[in-house]
Amino acid sequence: MRYRFGHSRGRTPVETDTIKTYPSRTSLKELQVGEAAHIVDFFNPDEIARKIEAMGLRKGKKITVLQKLGRGILIKTNNSRIVITSDVAKNIEVK
Amino acid sequence: MRKSIKVAFAGNPNVGKTTLLNHAAKTNLKVGNWSGVTVEKREGFLSYKDYDIHFVDLPGIYTLEPLSEDEWIAYNFIMKENPDVVVDVIETTNAERDLLLTTELLEFERPMVVALNMTDEANKKGIEIDSSHTKELLEIPVVKTNGRNGDGIQELLDAIIETAEAHSTPKAVKYGDQIEEFLDKIGEQRRNGKIDKHTLLKLLTENDGRNGEKTKLEKFYKKDIISIIKDERYAFANGLYREILKKKKSTARDITDKIDKIVLHPILGFFIFLLAMFLLFKISFDFSNPLMNWTEGLINNFFSPLVSLLLTKIGASEWLLSFFSEAIVGGVGFVITFVPLIATIYFMLALLEMSGYMPRIAFLMDKFMHKLGLHGKGMIPLLLGFGCNVPAIIATRTLENKRDKLLVMAMIPFMSCPARLVIFSFFAILFFNNPAVIIFSLYLGGILIGLLTAFFLRKTAFRGKLSHFVMELPPYRMPRMRIVVKIVWVQVKSFLYRAGTLIFAASVVVWVLLNTPPGIKNQSDSAAAYVGKAITPILRPIGINDWRISTSLIPAFLAREIVLSSMGTIYSVNVPNNKPDFHFLPAIEEQVNGFGAAVKESLLSLFSPSIKTLETENADSGLRNVIRSSFTSASALSFMIFLLLYTSCLATVAVMAREAGKKFALVFLGYSFVIAWVVAFVVYQVGSIL
Repeated sequence: MRYRFGHSRGRTPVETDTIKTYPSRTSLKELQVGEAAHIVDFFNPDEIARKIEAMGLRKGKKITVLQKLGRGILIKTNNSRIVITSDVAKNIEVK
Repeated sequence: MRKSIKVAFAGNPNVGKTTLLNHAAKTNLKVGNWSGVTVEKREGFLSYKDYDIHFVDLPGIYTLEPLSEDEWIAYNFIMKENPDVVVDVIETTNAERDLLLTTELLEFERPMVVALNMTDEANKKGIEIDSSHTKELLEIPVVKTNGRNGDGIQELLDAIIETAEAHSTPKAVKYGDQIEEFLDKIGEQRRNGKIDKHTLLKLLTENDGRNGEKTKLEKFYKKDIISIIKDERYAFANGLYREILKKKKSTARDITDKIDKIVLHPILGFFIFLLAMFLLFKISFDFSNPLMNWTEGLINNFFSPLVSLLLTKIGASEWLLSFFSEAIVGGVGFVITFVPLIATIYFMLALLEMSGYMPRIAFLMDKFMHKLGLHGKGMIPLLLGFGCNVPAIIATRTLENKRDKLLVMAMIPFMSCPARLVIFSFFAILFFNNPAVIIFSLYLGGILIGLLTAFFLRKTAFRGKLSHFVMELPPYRMPRMRIVVKIVWVQVKSFLYRAGTLIFAASVVVWVLLNTPPGIKNQSDSAAAYVGKAITPILRPIGINDWRISTSLIPAFLAREIVLSSMGTIYSVNVPNNKPDFHFLPAIEEQVNGFGAAVKESLLSLFSPSIKTLETENADSGLRNVIRSSFTSASALSFMIFLLLYTSCLATVAVMAREAGKKFALVFLGYSFVIAWVVAFVVYQVGSIL
């Protein structure tokens, strides 16, 4: 049952000073363009998760969603920009 | 005694490994501003001081856990080939990310040098790495380099030699106390002495250890062993990063984000893509056309009469004169005329690759691609296909899924390459009033057949769910003219090389067959005609009913442009030989003036909004006129379609066989012939009625 999270929808973002945060477990897929959040965990720590971690999307890192096109999501972390598809994004928990 | 050193360049993708190698070993290996330019191991050699250094450039890899084929190549080399020194290239701007691979490489406890590359870019972003502190911590040489201007290369070479000579290994990586204790225990259980940390960790993950070490560790950390090791590595890399980072004030604003707001805009981005493609073609044609006319003049009105004159003066036989004017000028010379077009289109493609725009096209197009069941990342090999199908097929190695890979590979040969453009530009201008529309339609037609092929394969052999994709977008970078010119030169050189070898050989063979048996009066009695006539029945339904064209198509299987050189050789005989008086000095003057005018016209063309070249009727040369008599508009169009779709290129078929197997390549070759014939047939039949 551990991997069932991240599919929940419909929560409203809570505005803080700079970034929007979410009350409970949210996946990266749910972030809108321009929103920023921190990576908390990977719902499904498979080889793809390990690869994107190696690419710089690591626990605790702040990420910003720059653009969404179709199933592709462009995110920025530090100085790198990474495109992931929504089926990968839904496995990344953000806060 | 000279010593030889084997050096491997390892690092994350797009950190500048190949650029550094090009500087160090004076190679001209292909570079670009995107991840995955290098997908096979490339080599360079350098004699430096008392050493022969053998460099190996590896595909970029984020972590030593390979998924795609290019990553496997890098991984296997590092694991098995035992290079004397590993150069870990780090993009300083992204050092935090890159240090994970550094940590993994350190685990091997083998001689290693760190190259902190792109320091200039990092400085602008406010990131500076304390190289001497890094050196102290890791006990290996750390060199700051700059691939843009070659700074630090000398120091890097010296560091490599020093490390190889001393066989100095880095300080051992130290992870958490608990895991270290268990690793020691595992090490003790192995009798034969020293084992590197990487192997120890591997032993720990693969089996439990004699006293259940793995289980104990997992119990202690409350997570599985893979996660334990991963987290330890990240902790080490992070700690290292914090130690060596000297953060400064950022001086540059991030221009990439600003450009992306427009270029990757969901609606605007699409129009910008179309505009970029239009400009690519417009400039390729308009800029090159005046220069092509000049080159043609240079060969036909200067070079050819000059050599003929000299040959006549030294009393060369009639036989040699005809060989020269037919096989050399008519065949090889004809193809060389197209060098300006080849150079310009490669120049434009290099700009596309060096700027960082190319992978963004993949992101933009994924919306449409994935509706067709195609992988967004597959867009990159397809785009490369417009430059040359051969490297495009190799580039499919970056795709992680075998099915995606084969799917993209079956589409690439339908992406029209410059060799085909050369043929199109010749025929379209000769037979149509609006050649731009014809050429553009041919390109689109190729793409359409590619998509249909993929769609058909998705419904039959390659069913299944579309896999996810992950791809890094590089920052925009101003293309360096020196590097762009180098890339163009490599392509032009290889084209000229082909002209001098393959195309020359084909022209000679065609010429010899045209004159066999010796002493024939009529060309149509020759061996060449005999062969051509034998296959004409297959081609008659698509409008090709002339042995001279069928014969040209046979050697064209080696490379498409040979169809032109062969036709040049065959038809040259029929060109009326009205030799004008040739005077050396005025001819030189005419060529120089002509060149000036051509350059001026080329530059001016850049400022006109429409495609100028293809609106005007070209000056008719003798060869054009005789070729024109063999075709109708309908048969010319069907001929172009046939050459567009049929994989008439030995190099493409060979590389396909290497990457996907002989069976795949041969089946595809047959398929492409059938589809080419069918489409050409329909177009010819419909075109003949209209």
